[in-house]
Parts: sequence; C-alpha cells; structure tokens
Amino acid sequence: MVSLRESLGLPPLVAPAEDRIAPDVPDLDNNTLKTALVEMIRMRRIEEDAAKAYGRGKISGFCHLYIGQEAVAEGTVLAIRPDDYMISAYREHAQALAKGMDAKGIMAELFGKKTGSVKGKGGSMHLFDNKVHFLGGHGIVGGQIPIAAGVGFAIRYNEEDRVCICFFGDAAINQGAFYEAANMAVVWKLPVIFICENNLYGMGTAIRRTSATATLAQRADGLAMPSAQVDGQHVFRMYEAVYRAVQRARAGEGPTLIEALCYRYRGHSMSDPQKYRTREEVEQAKEYDPITGLQAILAARGVLTEADVESIEQQVRLEMDEVVQFADTSELPPVEWAFEDVLVENEVNHA
Amino acid sequence: MTDGEPLLQILDEHGNLVGDIPEPLTNDDLVMLYRHMRRIRVVDERMLPLQRQGRISFYGAATGQEAAVVGSGYALSPDDWVFPALREGGVALMRGYDLWLYIAQLFGNITDVTHGRQMPCHYTSRRHHFVSLSSPIGTQLPQAVGTAMGMRIRGETKATAVYMGDGATSEGDFHIALRFASRYQAPVVFFCQNNQWAISVPSSKQTRATSFAIKGTAYGIPWERVDGNCVLAVFAATQRAVQRAYAGLGPSFVEALTYRIGAHSTSDDPSRYRDESVTEAWKSRCPLIRFRTFLTTRNLWNEDKERNFVTELETAIKQAVHEHEAASPPPLSSMFTDVYAKLPAHIVEQQQMAQNFAATKPRGHRS
Repeated sequence: MVSLRESLGLPPLVAPAEDRIAPDVPDLDNNTLKTALVEMIRMRRIEEDAAKAYGRGKISGFCHLYIGQEAVAEGTVLAIRPDDYMISAYREHAQALAKGMDAKGIMAELFGKKTGSVKGKGGSMHLFDNKVHFLGGHGIVGGQIPIAAGVGFAIRYNEEDRVCICFFGDAAINQGAFYEAANMAVVWKLPVIFICENNLYGMGTAIRRTSATATLAQRADGLAMPSAQVDGQHVFRMYEAVYRAVQRARAGEGPTLIEALCYRYRGHSMSDPQKYRTREEVEQAKEYDPITGLQAILAARGVLTEADVESIEQQVRLEMDEVVQFADTSELPPVEWAFEDVLVENEVNHA
Repeated sequence: MTDGEPLLQILDEHGNLVGDIPEPLTNDDLVMLYRHMRRIRVVDERMLPLQRQGRISFYGAATGQEAAVVGSGYALSPDDWVFPALREGGVALMRGYDLWLYIAQLFGNITDVTHGRQMPCHYTSRRHHFVSLSSPIGTQLPQAVGTAMGMRIRGETKATAVYMGDGATSEGDFHIALRFASRYQAPVVFFCQNNQWAISVPSSKQTRATSFAIKGTAYGIPWERVDGNCVLAVFAATQRAVQRAYAGLGPSFVEALTYRIGAHSTSDDPSRYRDESVTEAWKSRCPLIRFRTFLTTRNLWNEDKERNFVTELETAIKQAVHEHEAASPPPLSSMFTDVYAKLPAHIVEQQQMAQNFAATKPRGHRS
C-alpha cells in the first residue's frame, strides 16, 4: 500500500518506534521521557475535552485542535529552557500547555471566563502568559512571525542567550511576512527557531497544490538559512532538530528553519467538514501516532507497563475533569473589563 | 553577501569577445543595441539637470546600467508584457514609445498622456505592452506573475518580463510572486538589476545569500547570473529565459550584476553612505565604452556616427523640453477622470467642491 506521505510526494516517515537519539545530541533519560509522555497525553486530553465542551456550547467562536501534532511541541520543549520564548499561531492550546501554562487558565480562556489566561478577553486564539514566556496565540496567518524576529532582536540587543521558538503552519510559510522576518533574522543573526508545522493542509488546501518544491525546508535556501525537514510525529526527531538549532542560536549563529512533517487528526477548525481528505487517510496517519509511538519505545525498554499507562491516563483524566469544572464554574468577565488592559491610561473620552 | 556564483560574460571589460555572439543577433542588431544604450545615457544626462534646476520634480537615471536595461529589453517580443522597476524606461523607448511623450511625462503638463497624475518616470503605454512602474517596492512582481498566469490559461505563446532592484528581493511580494510563479509554471522572466545599492543599503546588509539569483532555488526556479555591464550576456540569458517561458517551462530568474553610478534618485546623496572611489572604479567598467570598443574594432561604429546620433538626439530632446515646459498644466477636471467609467456620487461632489474652491482663487487654477 502506498503510504499517505508517498501519495503526497513526501518522504515516508520513519517508524515511530525507532528508539535512538542521534549521538551529537544529549540523550534523554527514561524519567524525562516518561514525563514527556505524560505531557503529550495532557496535550491530547485538554484538546479532546475542549472539543467536547465546544460540542456542548461551552466554547464559542474559533477553536483549532492540535490532536496528532503533540510530538512537535513536546520535542521542542525538551530542547529549550524555561526562560526561552515561544510564540505561535491559533492552534496553540497544547503548545501553551507544553510551555508550562496553567491548564485551568487555558481552558477558562477557551470558555471566555474571567479566570482565563487573558481574563476571557482573548479566547482560543489568544492565549498568552508572560510568566512562562509564551507570547501568544495569534489569529492572523503568519502574523506572529515578524513578532518572533522582533523578540529575537530584543534578545540580541539585551545580550541574552535565550532563543525564541516560532511555530507556524505550512500555509503561513507562503506569507510575505515569513520571508521578510526570516531574511532579517538571517542578516542580523537573530536567535529564532522557525518551526513550520507541515500538517499537509492549509485549511482544506493540500500542500501539493500550493508548493512546487519537494520540501518547505528548501525555502530557507534562498536566504542562506540552515534548514531541516524532520519527522514531526516522532518526539526524538523533533528534539534533535530543535536542539541543534538552539545550539546554533545560542552561539550567535542565527536562525534555523525546521519543517516538521505532521498530521492533524481533526478538522482545521470546529467548522470544517473535511471534504478534502478521506477517512482512510486520517486512519493511516494515526498509525504513526506520536503518543503510542513513544509508549511503544518506553514499553520496549521495559520502563513502562500497561498499568503505568492506565495510571497516567487516569491521573490526566482527573486533572482535566477538574480543569473543565473550573472553567465551567468560573464567572464571565464584567463588561467594564472590555476597556482595560489595552491602553496604560484610558484617554478615550467621548463626552 | 559574497560573490559565490559565476557571472556569464561575452565581452570582457575591455570589449574583447570572450564568448559567442548570441544567435540570432546580426550586425544591425549589434548597432541597434548600442544606439539604444547611448540614447538612454543622453536622455539621462539631459534630464538630471532639469530636476536640479527645478524644472521637473524627480528623475531616476539608469547610468551605468544601460546594458542591463537594453540587453534584457532586446530579448523580448513586442507582444510580451513588461513590468518595469524605476530604471527601465529605456525599454519603453526600445519598443517604440515616443521620446517626445517620454519627456512629456516628466513635465506632467497637458502634453503628458497621464496628465501629471503620476510622478516622473512612470511611463505607461498599453500599445507598447509597458505597464507603469509601481513606486512601492516590489508590488509589480505579483502583478506580473498574475499576468503571466493569465497568458498560460489562455494558451498564449507569450511571456511577461518583470524587473526589480536588489532591494525588492527582500520584500514579501517577491516571495509570494516566486512561489505562485513556480507552482503555476507562469511564463514570467524575473529580472533583477543588482546595482549593489538599495538606496543606501548595500547588498551585504540585504541578504546573506551568496547571490540574489540563488533565491530561485527556494522555489525550484532556474536562475542565471550575468555580468550586467555586458549587453550581449544580458541578452543571451534573458533570451534563454524568454524561450523557456514560450516553451511552457515556466519562470526563470536572471540576476544582472551592475553598479549604480549615480544617486538612487534625485532625492539622494550617495556620498553620505558609500565610498565613491568604488564608484569611480565602476565608471571605468562603463557598459557603453566596452560595447563601443567592440563595435569600433568590427568597423560597425565610429566617431562620426556617434556625433551624428548624439547631436540629432539632443536636438530632439531640446525641442521636446521646450514644448512640454511651455505647455499648460492639465485642467483641474483631469483630477477626476480616467479612474471611474461613471463617476460615483461622492466623487461628483468632490469635483464640485474643487471647482467651487478654484473659482475663489484669482489665478492659476483652471477648471
């Protein structure tokens, strides 16, 4: 059978159970990997619960789920420090969670409640938490990319050794904003890691209909930026690629473009009938599921039993039940809040 | 930026033939190439002082870049559409655009077909398939690709040529245009005049890529670099690109390495930001001198021909300047025409307001 990726003219995925971290990158011990597994399960569960809440009318407006792409965020987080920045687009709930944002604050924000991370005023696409250096949550396709370059510039200007992770999708790479920001990042050697999550569809438009080149990583060639195409469904491969990029960035050698091949199991948003792909294709992609892949690796190492998995599942279920309960029972923000937190001084006077 | 990729050269800096004269150029073509280049130089030399004297408001010269303009323009067929940047007005002249109208555009009086509604150097002629340049950097790139995509959909054997400077290659529109062109195999020739200065920004601060041409790689677009001061090399590379477009093989990218001898425009003083001794070195690589030496050694050109050509041209320019300067400014009413087929109500209202205002002024405002 021709694999999904082959049918799209993309290189086949390496089996996720492949248990090996490249020798040039520090190894990850079993405890770290078990924690990574828990984090990925939390990411999936919070999204599944968001979907359920959406179905019950608890969440309004847009809601873009990350289910299937968890290894991209987790592999990235494993390679950076807590004080590094992360900025993303609108499929960011799980990334925010991976970066250390409070699950309750995330869910309450989706519910539009006053206890949300931005007081219920941003919603699904605008999660933000300066404490964990998660800089959003941006609704305009590619809009976060020049901001990431600006963050990178600030890091250099302040002579820090931090980096800025910038996530965007396979369609956003076609925006002029990507090209302009990426070029400046190379010219000025900004410590930005551009991670293009190629989930093969820009909404309903398949990648083969938008690009004449074999890879999106190739787009960096015109800018003299190092780049790599990696298996974004394997947490090890993501970790390795991001680790190398972070090393370069911290050494003052500038940015890297990483194309993470991945697949979103759900629709682009909650209002996507998915007529552009078959059910079989989605099922086939799930054979490379990042979570079961990591589970298989840990099981083969003999450090994870079925009972452990059940216990993790149970623990995460309890946490997320509480998270949803918290969001549900929180209050809506008062109307006056609509006029706060934008201008330092409210100079608007219509009288 | 480092000069990583080799440059195609057919005439060396001293005018010696180091390659083959491109097919199908005849001796008459060679002379014509020179005349086109020489004409641009003479026109530029006459127009710049007019701006300095306050008689026209702006001018962008092509001094030092004439081979890039003429070599590329000569490779196009009259049916191909041209989307110029600032310095390719010479391509319009090559296509038969009247010099008298060209000068009229700079004055923007009643004799200008665009009635002074554009800045100088924004020549435009549907008949010559020459689109007005866009002052915003790089906006012509997606427009040209769209035009080329249209040609492909209609099944025409035509191409679109779009010019840009080195600075435009950092624009988002550049990225968008190249991506669309490669995906839809648009018959478009991207022509980058790398004169090494984007106003005051040198190429070294523009990109870390080893050349501008190599940017084509990111989109799977074939590219070629040429010595932009060798008119024959520019012609050869552009002709190859045009032939690819005609054959349905999609876009190509040509980078012509040259040097901007003068200021970016009349609103610029390059001595404030660059070492002008480098400029002096480039003056000695003048594309006109190189090609004239070549033609002279082949007995295709001589001093008499040069003198007659320049004298005749200068007479025509002098006459045109005299006529356009003496012409009346366009009527106030022209401000409201040539955009809408039928004026919408709010524009009619503004037109009335403008006329009423003008009526209160003692002189100089005509309705």
